[in-house]
Amino acid sequence: MNPFVYSRANDAAGAVTAIAAKPHTKFLGGGTNLIDLMKMGVETPAQLVDITRLPLAQVEELPGGKGVRIGALARNSDVAEHAIIRQRYPLLSQALLAGASPQLRNMATVGGNLMQRTRCYYFYDPAFPQCNKRNPGSGCGALKGYNRIHAILGQSDQCIATNPSDMNVALTALEAIVRVQGPKGEREIPIADFHRLPGSTPNVDTNLKEDELITAVDLPANSFATRSHYLKVRDRASYAFAIVSVAAAIEIDAGKKITAVRIALGGVAHKPWRAQKAEQQLVGKTADEKTFRAAAEAELAAAKGYAHNSFKIELAKRSIVRALTTVAGMTS
Amino acid sequence: MSAATMGPARNRVDGRLKVTGAAKYAVEFEVPNCAHGWTVESNIAKGKITAIDAKAAQAVPGVLAVLTHLNMPKFKEAPKKEERGISSGIRNEERFPLSDDGVHYAGQYVALVIAETIEQARHAASLVKISYAPEEPLLTMEAAVKKAEKPKTNHDENVQIKKGDAAAALKDASLVKIEQTYITPTETHNPIEMSGTIAHWEDDKKLTLYDATQFVKGVQNVLARSLGLDLENVRIICPFVGGAFGCKGAVWMHILLAAMGAKVAGVPVKLHVSRRNMFVGTGHRTPTRQTLSLAATRDGKLQAIQHVSETLTSPVGQFTESCGSRSTGLMYESPSIRIEETVYPVNVSTPTFMRAPGECPGTYALESAMDELAYALKMDPVALRLANHADNHPTKNIPFSAKHLKEAYQLGAEKFGWSKRNPEPRSMRDGDLLVGWGMATATYPAHKMSAAAKVILRANNTATVQCATHDLGTGAYTAFTQISSEQLGVPFENVTFELGKSDFPFGPVAGGSNSTGTVGTAIHEAAVLMHKALAELAVKDPKSPLSNLKVEDIAMVAEGRIGSVADQTKSDSYADILKRAGRDSIEVQSEQKPPEQSKTLAFQSWGAHFCEVKIDPLLPRVQVTRVVSVMNCGRIVSAKTARSQIMGGVTMGIGMALLEETSYDPATGLPVIRNLADYHVPTNLDVPEIDVSFVGEPDFAFNPIGARGMGEIGITGMAAAVANAVYHATGKRVRDLPITPDKLI
Ligand SMILES: Cc1cc2nc3c(=O)[nH]c(=O)nc-3n(C[C@H](O)[C@H](O)[C@H](O)COP(=O)(O)OP(=O)(O)OC[C@H]3O[C@@H](n4cnc5c(N)ncnc54)[C@H](O)[C@@H]3O)c2cc1C
Ligand code: SF4
Repeated sequence: MNPFVYSRANDAAGAVTAIAAKPHTKFLGGGTNLIDLMKMGVETPAQLVDITRLPLAQVEELPGGKGVRIGALARNSDVAEHAIIRQRYPLLSQALLAGASPQLRNMATVGGNLMQRTRCYYFYDPAFPQCNKRNPGSGCGALKGYNRIHAILGQSDQCIATNPSDMNVALTALEAIVRVQGPKGEREIPIADFHRLPGSTPNVDTNLKEDELITAVDLPANSFATRSHYLKVRDRASYAFAIVSVAAAIEIDAGKKITAVRIALGGVAHKPWRAQKAEQQLVGKTADEKTFRAAAEAELAAAKGYAHNSFKIELAKRSIVRALTTVAGMTS
Repeated sequence: MSAATMGPARNRVDGRLKVTGAAKYAVEFEVPNCAHGWTVESNIAKGKITAIDAKAAQAVPGVLAVLTHLNMPKFKEAPKKEERGISSGIRNEERFPLSDDGVHYAGQYVALVIAETIEQARHAASLVKISYAPEEPLLTMEAAVKKAEKPKTNHDENVQIKKGDAAAALKDASLVKIEQTYITPTETHNPIEMSGTIAHWEDDKKLTLYDATQFVKGVQNVLARSLGLDLENVRIICPFVGGAFGCKGAVWMHILLAAMGAKVAGVPVKLHVSRRNMFVGTGHRTPTRQTLSLAATRDGKLQAIQHVSETLTSPVGQFTESCGSRSTGLMYESPSIRIEETVYPVNVSTPTFMRAPGECPGTYALESAMDELAYALKMDPVALRLANHADNHPTKNIPFSAKHLKEAYQLGAEKFGWSKRNPEPRSMRDGDLLVGWGMATATYPAHKMSAAAKVILRANNTATVQCATHDLGTGAYTAFTQISSEQLGVPFENVTFELGKSDFPFGPVAGGSNSTGTVGTAIHEAAVLMHKALAELAVKDPKSPLSNLKVEDIAMVAEGRIGSVADQTKSDSYADILKRAGRDSIEVQSEQKPPEQSKTLAFQSWGAHFCEVKIDPLLPRVQVTRVVSVMNCGRIVSAKTARSQIMGGVTMGIGMALLEETSYDPATGLPVIRNLADYHVPTNLDVPEIDVSFVGEPDFAFNPIGARGMGEIGITGMAAAVANAVYHATGKRVRDLPITPDKLI
């Protein structure tokens, strides 16, 4: 681990000032990802600004029934267990509880979860000479290497890594808004624009600027609370990253017609993957397995696999079908 | 099982120490002024080091030494492997660390940094710049074909076996045949306690090591020889081990590095192997490729079994995994048996024994093949095994001692409800889930090694028993306390059993499931000596009811008493004998002698696993929902810890079947799986209730304790039982482990 300076911020403005003041500064949330990466020598910040004391850990109603605001420092387990989240956004609660372990969820923050980095082996361990994300221009070790956990959608020949988060997939389906604060003030980033596809700059994971602090995540009001489901497919029963996951929410009318639908996929792309093609196909159709399969086929038509991960294409289709069947079968 | 066969269910004597954190593991010992080591590893798999730049590392505050092959003092060459017995220590890697510029595998230690704090050492290690001249590494069996070897023996056991004419039977058109190849991946032990050593030189001739090891005497021996020290001046201390599974059996490079590093730095050095380096520096189970060919008559009598197994080792490695000889070589009766084993040296870190080395992958292949044969014959898998039951060792032709495998099949089948199984694949369902039932045989040899024990018996009716043996977390402390109590005739609560110190009488490596039997025998021998010593005092004492009797006619007659074997009325208590003799205590030590190996009986433990899986056909992750395991291991000394051992073995077998795999990068030869987030062992949710029972009788022909040991048998056959259940559930035979969802789509 590189030597670094540790400091602590007491409010959002102080945190932003601290990060702007010194190059190579990083915010420290729960530390469950950043500290690991620092130990491995992947992240080598010169300064850490501990933001866990910022007064940004609440879950609160937005005025006018507009939805709910979750503070960026709220711990994953607190959000998952919060009564409002469980009642109105069970999808988010399920996704959080499907992630990591209780110990990790007790530490992990919402901001840190949004920003967690890929679990690509080649990125995580500097013993590997090639990784464009860690060391731009060095090549992609995974492309011809062991790539069982890698992306099948939206990847580039520069990087085939996936975003490993469960929470982000649910936030994508819920069309969350990420609120950030920088030296020039506050701004809002829709979740769909928050994470990036790798393109030719896989070293840049998100559209958050280096001197910006995530302060909160807003969840707009919606009517999916009773028909939503987070499906996580993994290698073992618990405590494993998703090989494929699906956040699905649906509205159907009395005639079993789909009036609204949201689908997001995890484990398949460099960002949580909003399955827009599938959604477009589904609206107005009857909710049945055939329709679901056709929509899944449409979404995965552009998918591309590698030596060890091609199975994800069929698995993703099946997972979409299962998740939609589950939500369609729920009683509202 | 009767009381004679099943010892009492005691709670662990060290349980409280463990749950309160008071039990001290090797690297937790506090040695004043202790510095910290951090290693640098090679990132290439083969080549030569051409230059080392350690200036930046040396400049880091707190750094005391940077050791590389350029400045590493030389170790003393050890005698050749063939000239050493296993009791003088195990070195799976013969090359000394940092001994030259050669790189033989990725992850090989190429430098050691010693600094005042672990953070300084780690940071400085990241600044050591090493330049290499890389060479093309051999990373696969295919690449290493020209270097392949067929070892004749492994630990003195024949591994290339030929009985009858298997080739002819395999060509016989009238027989039912199957031939399949089974693959197991690299598996890494991953005990919770990582390896680690604190090396403390008291002066330049005296060394104490706190080391996480399965073999204190072995470490002592190897270190004394390698450093040119007198044996008694090298002390190894290891009272607790947090799991090992084989990876702490050998003297790995970090132990030698810590010792030499501490010598050079002039301060005690702690070198804790990181989890990441547990994947390269302390061994793993080699991947295997095994081809099984079976031929049987239509009524299921095996006529030929052929088991060709291929495994890997490293260019500096000394370990071979004998899959065929240790499973197929003794499992079933057959007029012809052919076993072939080939080892390929590749530029991958050195493998070692891992829980049931050989038997574990071997039984996976054999017991999968038997299931395939059962289907080919349209025969029940249990019936097929019964039809080929071996009363005699099939290749040594001597009877097995106290074998109760048939009972194990029967009881297991009964408890599991096997008779309700519809053999048709995909025929059983639970709602939308596919249900599969599978079974397999378990087996593991009863190994006998040598040990000695010291007993101190006191007039206050307490005893201390010592042996340089180990408790790997298995419950050995408890089992040995029970054996000591029984054999000595001193109440359980009054016995203190001490282990984990090289100062104590010899204990063998805690491997091969030998400890309970071997150390138990030493305790028995010491107890006999103790009773004799007491008798000698008593017969000379006119006040004793035993005075003037012959020592040979006296033995333990009840707890705390020796007496005349012929005349029950004549006896005397230990306490009275000692008090009258004016002694506070009396001490005896048994002798370490090579164990007698029987030529007329074969000693082997047996068992049967039955397991149920449920699988969602759409998203096919295998969930094991039920396991029934019945074991036949001679006397069960300690009911609770024995059950835990089988549960642990079954759990690890589930991991092997469904989850565990250390994958490697095809370009660099580095493991890509190098932490516990990526290396999947079963979680609680992956493991159902495991129903364990025992059958049989004490195997007194094996040793006076009647116990054959049982640390490893639980994992054998288990992966096959799961794989067979998966086939039954899905109709799909997955022949390469682990059975992850991608293989069932
Ligand atoms: C063994 C293991 C298993 C796991 N399994 C799963 C899993 O199954 N599913 C899953 O989703 N996740 C899993 N995780 C990942 C876990 O969810 C993340 O590590 C966690 O969410 C990160 O949150 P944190 O607060 O600890 O972030 P930190 O480690 O503190 O920070 C991560 C990054 O976010 C930045 N950051 C933090 N807060 C802010 C902010 N407010 N504004 C701007 N930047 C910020 C930091 O600078 C840093 O770059 C696992 C992790 C481990 C170690
Ligand atoms: S997939 Fe991306 S993160 Fe992984 S090695 Fe390639 S560039 Fe690096």
